[in-house]
Amino acid sequence: MVRVRGLTHRYGEGATALTVLCDVDMEIPAGGYAAVTGVSGAGKSTLLSILGGLERAQAGSVCVGEVDLTALRGAELARFRRERVGFVFQDFGLLTMLTARENVELALTLAGVGRRERRAQAEQLLSEVGLAARASHRPTRLSGGELQRVAIARALANRPAVLLADEPTGNLDESSAGRVMEMLEQLRAERGCTLVVVTHNPELAARAEQRLRLSRSQLVRL
Amino acid sequence: MNWSDAALLGLRSLGRRGARSVLAGLGVALGTTLLVALVSIAGGADTRIVSQLSHGGPAAAIHVDDALPDPAGYDSDNLQTGAHRDLDAAALAAIRRSPHVASVVPVLAVSALVVPCPGIQPGTPSAPPACRQRADEYFGTVVGADLSHAPDLPITLLAGRLPEASSMTEVAVTQSYVERVHLNVAHPAAVLGSAIEFAAPQLLPGTGPARFRGRWTQAQVVGVVAQTVDSGDFLAPIQQTQLAREWTLAGVDSRNFRRPTSPYSGAVVVADTLSDVHAVRQEIFAIGYANSAPEHLVASVQKYLHIVDIVLGGIGSVALAIAVLGVSNTLLAAVRERWREIGVLKALGAADGDVARWFLVEAGLLGIVGGLVGTAAGTAVTATVAIVVDRYLRDQGLQGIDLGGLPLQIVIGAPIATTLLAVVAGLAPALRAARLPVREALGG
Repeated sequence: MVRVRGLTHRYGEGATALTVLCDVDMEIPAGGYAAVTGVSGAGKSTLLSILGGLERAQAGSVCVGEVDLTALRGAELARFRRERVGFVFQDFGLLTMLTARENVELALTLAGVGRRERRAQAEQLLSEVGLAARASHRPTRLSGGELQRVAIARALANRPAVLLADEPTGNLDESSAGRVMEMLEQLRAERGCTLVVVTHNPELAARAEQRLRLSRSQLVRL
Repeated sequence: MNWSDAALLGLRSLGRRGARSVLAGLGVALGTTLLVALVSIAGGADTRIVSQLSHGGPAAAIHVDDALPDPAGYDSDNLQTGAHRDLDAAALAAIRRSPHVASVVPVLAVSALVVPCPGIQPGTPSAPPACRQRADEYFGTVVGADLSHAPDLPITLLAGRLPEASSMTEVAVTQSYVERVHLNVAHPAAVLGSAIEFAAPQLLPGTGPARFRGRWTQAQVVGVVAQTVDSGDFLAPIQQTQLAREWTLAGVDSRNFRRPTSPYSGAVVVADTLSDVHAVRQEIFAIGYANSAPEHLVASVQKYLHIVDIVLGGIGSVALAIAVLGVSNTLLAAVRERWREIGVLKALGAADGDVARWFLVEAGLLGIVGGLVGTAAGTAVTATVAIVVDRYLRDQGLQGIDLGGLPLQIVIGAPIATTLLAVVAGLAPALRAARLPVREALGG
């Protein structure tokens, strides 16, 4: 479960301060599926960053499962990201010097999984996203849809409780976007993890169980 | 992420920016090459120069004479002797027992009638008569020394080799002998292989004019030396001069001819270290023998050489520092380029230490590869310089020089030091990358 209470976040100080999130409340049940929409600069990515422990909340409380993120600092937040969260980025976020399999392995490497085991797990994950044959390919030799599928495999590597996707289809054509979203939804259902997707696309947002809109720093349930 | 995983990631990162990595590694290699070559050449040259001051022997060698010490010579580098005093086995044993004495090599110089036979190979049946018909015989001194301790003796080999330690038929000659037989001193090897006849004198008893009987021996010249073991034109194993002395002792004395009483005419004492030379000299003075050593000269020269070492080492260190700064610069550029990758790694759960380790490993890899290549190149440069210098000196008719192999501590220490320096240089970029706020790195 993701529970947010009175979350406020601003950038800058004094007269130039910009409040992007103001007294936001939100609750997504464990295994739930929420989509957050909003115009550019509305604070969608900031909300996602705070939920994923990339950024600390300035005010309010954020709980993911039993973990109160506002109580975590540096190394504890890194551990939280390593063990509880999977990220899917709009630009895929793959390391170009590594192969698809090594990119998936990276998440397991950081979690301290042994070499043989992480290799087997990475191959299994790539197989699940239909990329077993491309495991040894570098990102430069993969299409946009394939890159995002590798990124999804990597995000799932540590069996996260929460999967956070920031514009996961933003760089994909319509057909690839559809396949990627179907895959995300299918894997969420199979693994029982909570899925939060940030998107500009109202059609994609409509697929979620819970649709939220960020407007004027406030979160509105649609 | 453990160190081996970080190494794998670092290797891939270096490989992706191949040209820049090669250039940074080359910089480290060049710096290491310069440092290794300068330090090795300077060290080798120091040893040779100090050795030359000691006439080719160890710098810590002390000459002992069969004479009482002159108190005025206690603080002098030069030999200043008092009255004659026999130097026997007991005296040598007493010196050997003194603290900080590494070795004692006895020396016995004897006078002999010398008949040069240049151009005549020894062993030919007609050689002795041919030699004895010559008119250029003269009285010379044959210096006998225990040549099994040759490295402890102040001898510089100019051509050929030293006589075998137990040989009764081999001698080495000095340049003055080469001049005497009208050969070119610049090419002393011409005298090698020729024969010389020696006659140790024995005064026969009787009245009237002194009558001598000679103990004739023939020897082959196997080497040319610049020796200062004792004054004399010939260097031979001590067994040869001991037999000559026994022959002379079997005769009688006269007013103008006194048989030697001392079993040894001198000795070469080697102290444990250069800093022990003065103390050992004082011990020998206390035992009652005059002695000399170029301790003040060596100390002065060492001071100047040390300054030269510092300057050369400093130049090499500056080169290495510049190269290591290149590593730092390369990695700082890498941090800027990998901004997004650092963010992704952190989003995946990498701790600050994991990110720092990634960059430190890259710095270390550049350092170790650069250090190994640089040490190998430095060794090659040192060897080349040694060959060129040696050839030049020999072309000039001077004694060649062997700058020696690379000291083991440099071979092992240079890559280690270079790696550590590179890691230190990588600290700033690594810390910068590690402390990068994850949201900022992700471009939020």
